[in-house]
Amino acid sequence: MNEVKSKDIVGRGTREGAALFRDWFQDLTKKAEEGETAAYVFVMGSLAEILHVFDLPMVFPEINSLQTAVRHVADDFLNTAEDYGYSPDICGYVKADFAMQMQNGNHPMGRIPKPGIAVLTNACNTYFKWGEIWERIHEIPMVSIDVPATREAGTRTWPGDDQFEREKKYVKVQLKELIEICEKITGKKFDIDRLREVLGYANTMSRGWKRVLELNQSRPSLFNALTDGTVYLGMSNVFRGTPEGALYFDRLVEEMEYMSANGIGTLTDEKFRLSFIGVPCYPIFRRFNEMFTEWGGSFVMSTYLWFAAGGTNLGVQYDLENPLDSLAEGVLISVRDAMDSMFHPELTVLEQTEEFHIDGVVYHPIKSCRTTSAGMADNRRALMENSDLPSLFIESDMMDSRVVAEAQMKNRIDAFFEGLESRKAQAAIMGGA
Amino acid sequence: MSTIKVFENWKDQPLDEILWLCQETVEDSEVMTVKRWRKAGGKVLGHFQVYFPEEIAHAAGMLPMKMFGASVETRNADSRFGSFLCSILKTSLEQVLSGRVELDMFVTHPICDAARNLAPIWGRNYDYPCQILYLPQNPNSSYSVQYLKEEYERIQKVIEKVAGREITDDDLKNSITIYNRNRELLRELYRIKKDMPWLISINEAYVLMAIGGLIRREEHNEILESVLPMIEKRKARKQDRIKVVFEGGFCEQPPLDMLRTIGRSCYVVDDDLLIGMRYILEDIETDNEPLHAMAEAYINKSSYSPVQHDLRKPKEKMLKERVKNANAEAVIITAAKMCEPGLEEQVTYTQEFDKDNTPYFVSEFEENMSSFDHLEMQLETFVENLIFD
Amino acid sequence: MALAAGVDVGSTQTKSVIINENLKIIGRSLIDTGSNVVKAAEKAYLEALTDSKRREEEVAYVIGTGYGRYKVSFGDTQVTEISCHGRGAVHMFPNTRTVLDMGGQDTKAISVSETGEIVDFCMNDKCAAGTGRFLGAASTALDIPLDELGPTALQSEKPVKISTTCTVFAESEVLSWLGKGKKITDILLGVHKSISSRSISLLRRVGLNKEITFTGGVANNIGMVEVMNENLDTKMNVSDESHFMGALGAALIAMDHIFESRIPMEATA
Repeated sequence: MNEVKSKDIVGRGTREGAALFRDWFQDLTKKAEEGETAAYVFVMGSLAEILHVFDLPMVFPEINSLQTAVRHVADDFLNTAEDYGYSPDICGYVKADFAMQMQNGNHPMGRIPKPGIAVLTNACNTYFKWGEIWERIHEIPMVSIDVPATREAGTRTWPGDDQFEREKKYVKVQLKELIEICEKITGKKFDIDRLREVLGYANTMSRGWKRVLELNQSRPSLFNALTDGTVYLGMSNVFRGTPEGALYFDRLVEEMEYMSANGIGTLTDEKFRLSFIGVPCYPIFRRFNEMFTEWGGSFVMSTYLWFAAGGTNLGVQYDLENPLDSLAEGVLISVRDAMDSMFHPELTVLEQTEEFHIDGVVYHPIKSCRTTSAGMADNRRALMENSDLPSLFIESDMMDSRVVAEAQMKNRIDAFFEGLESRKAQAAIMGGA
Repeated sequence: MSTIKVFENWKDQPLDEILWLCQETVEDSEVMTVKRWRKAGGKVLGHFQVYFPEEIAHAAGMLPMKMFGASVETRNADSRFGSFLCSILKTSLEQVLSGRVELDMFVTHPICDAARNLAPIWGRNYDYPCQILYLPQNPNSSYSVQYLKEEYERIQKVIEKVAGREITDDDLKNSITIYNRNRELLRELYRIKKDMPWLISINEAYVLMAIGGLIRREEHNEILESVLPMIEKRKARKQDRIKVVFEGGFCEQPPLDMLRTIGRSCYVVDDDLLIGMRYILEDIETDNEPLHAMAEAYINKSSYSPVQHDLRKPKEKMLKERVKNANAEAVIITAAKMCEPGLEEQVTYTQEFDKDNTPYFVSEFEENMSSFDHLEMQLETFVENLIFD
Repeated sequence: MALAAGVDVGSTQTKSVIINENLKIIGRSLIDTGSNVVKAAEKAYLEALTDSKRREEEVAYVIGTGYGRYKVSFGDTQVTEISCHGRGAVHMFPNTRTVLDMGGQDTKAISVSETGEIVDFCMNDKCAAGTGRFLGAASTALDIPLDELGPTALQSEKPVKISTTCTVFAESEVLSWLGKGKKITDILLGVHKSISSRSISLLRRVGLNKEITFTGGVANNIGMVEVMNENLDTKMNVSDESHFMGALGAALIAMDHIFESRIPMEATA
């Protein structure tokens, strides 16, 4: 560590992540060109743990779709799908992916291989409709893992509770059924030792991810949960259960601990620490964040980094002595938690307000996604009743630039910061009186 | 077994009057039937779309009230929701926020993500249990029946607590028997609609069915038992209208006036309106464990909808079968505005019907729309094209 | 005594207000924005100065607000019209806790504290329904001047129910009612009620705390005021200066800056 220079380590995670991601995409493009098929999976419960045992290449359509928005070409993809008959009111991710399927997998970053199998959980109901589309286009098996989630806020059950153990059984049977189907389509036999290996790497990554998120309690904050966070998140999904992923997170933890120990922050003049609830605004990804950093506002925490990581932010550690049983338990806890982060984020956000020194909360409901957004208005109402934490509510979309109105957003964001600043000024006067 | 009656003034009335009373009750945003139930000391479990195992609540002596939207202004509910959401969510919540309806428990289902969010929203506004009943979206798993049975056992305990009494197996069997009879009567109603659609219009059949969601099923059975023979004896002339299947009414409901408008040009010989009430296709057996039988029926003896994933029942094939079985000439494929699963399924449906050139008419609706001039014109044009082909 | 100025650059009109240290308005102006926003801001400011009969050098601080706030090139800083309307309203009506600003393009509901700070806000700026635009559409469809809409509407006792949610289709719905023989007064009252109900929806999102102040161009429409008062079951504050609320708020905030700059540094440490 003595030889580590500050400029080498600070920002390393973002740089390495971007490079690794590009490599991964190039690899996918090669596979597409060679006619290899892949497992189409989702970030909330990718079941990478099992799929890697069979060496199935993995494609994340959600990530493919958001990349088109980041690269400002989403509108073409959306128009293609809409011309085909898909309504403007359905999820932009689904439509962009559909357009890619119609265009032989062509994508701004290369080419996406066709699916040989689709694996999903019920963390998002749109996953089912999406999978059904692939079923019809490609005639592939679609495996849905039902994860019985929290029935009512505040009623979660845990290992040892009757209800939890019963639900775990259901998840375990479904995982076994997934394994059978993978054996059939790959012709490979399931290898429990290989599962242990994959789980080991996943453990390192989950542990690391939890630690990284925690470290952002540091003042000043170490990374921007909206921008940098998305890179780390991508790594946690795409490389889950791999040695590359494990190494990446070991190094990321090292970087964050270094920064924390040396008081190095991501924003030179951090004035306001904010919480972000929802999915980022990909069509104006950089600009959106700038509208906040211009005021000295930095996102130190984001529910996106919880649910879009499939709940791995909890850091659940698999027990390698009982791999399958432990995997079922882990999937149940983590994927369930991902759903909780979307349906009642206010509970955790409120809990963490003090530790993270939160000055304000930004809600970003999006047109495409009812899962994350349908409950936000009421969520905010409850937050305002239970705390005096200032909050901002700005609606847009994560894919469709037609409903992203930058000037109007800026108006609201500016008004929010005017409020925060005047609050701060008041507090200073009271403090000084 | 409860003896509270909430809807009695239909007795000894002529058919047209009964149908009118049913319509009034279904359209009554004050939901007097539920108010009467409460006044008599009864408890209410509000359940959202699509399917809820009502027998369990019924067995506890509660009134299972179907929350399927209402013709109300969402003055209170609006501020609890953002944009781009279907109306049924808001109007259902408005019913309780406005004080028109009072519940003792609320249940929703993982039919879609908007519906799932309803439980936490409701729960932030009310102290009584507001839960998601996690019906399986992987019914194809070998463990799904066992899982569902356990889920039913779980909710039974919650219901027992709310109702303040135990539910015995006999209670359940008794309720199942009543609901079996109800489903049988509804099948009979649909048989009449299919074979002799001139005897009952789509909106009449609709209110006759829908009222069952707002009263106890034993009362509904009484009505149906009296009314069905009356319908069969009705003096109505067969008219020259095309036979269609209406698809898209599984959750948010099209306004009655829209059904009436459609009924003017077509005979709706089958549909998925309030399919949750008719979801179980055969009698649930009452010999052994009732909850197991109910779970098994849901998994293996049920209908289909765009919000229930099941590899054995691809929706487009099921709809095609429905069209064939009803001898329909065309399909009206609708979706509620902002209904994601409905809108996605529309594409699958239309692609399927394109394969063999089955005529179809695509439309969107909102439960509280009030002007149908555009729809009527387009539909009439569609029908004219079919007739003159 | 120093003067402070506020310039509110709206999409259709630009307003400017000059105040003195007693927080009294000593000059104001209202012009059409037109296509050159920068020039409009300058012109409005200079006209307000002329109206005040004071010299530019006396103005110590200028704040730009409104949609064109970044184009007030001579301004010292810019503040959103949300903050300005809140501040202006509380200045005018110290007991106000909720502000409804209905302009030509958007409608805002603002919840304010007793010191004029923004507690919460909600805007309807994606869609013209529930904004002055809807009235504009009705005015066109019925060929009645904007300023006659309110009084005409109030003559009705049986408003029609306007069901379309979109202003674009509202015009055709208005014409369709005319075609069905409905009276213009009834149709107009229906339009007012429809806008009122959308605005109340917006108000509920931020909390309907009395007193409620109604500002913005549409606040001059007595029909709108009456319909809203009835639906809210209260009497909203309406000022003759409604049009200038934003500019006034900006000027007040500008004066804050002037006062603050005079406070010795030690006291704010």
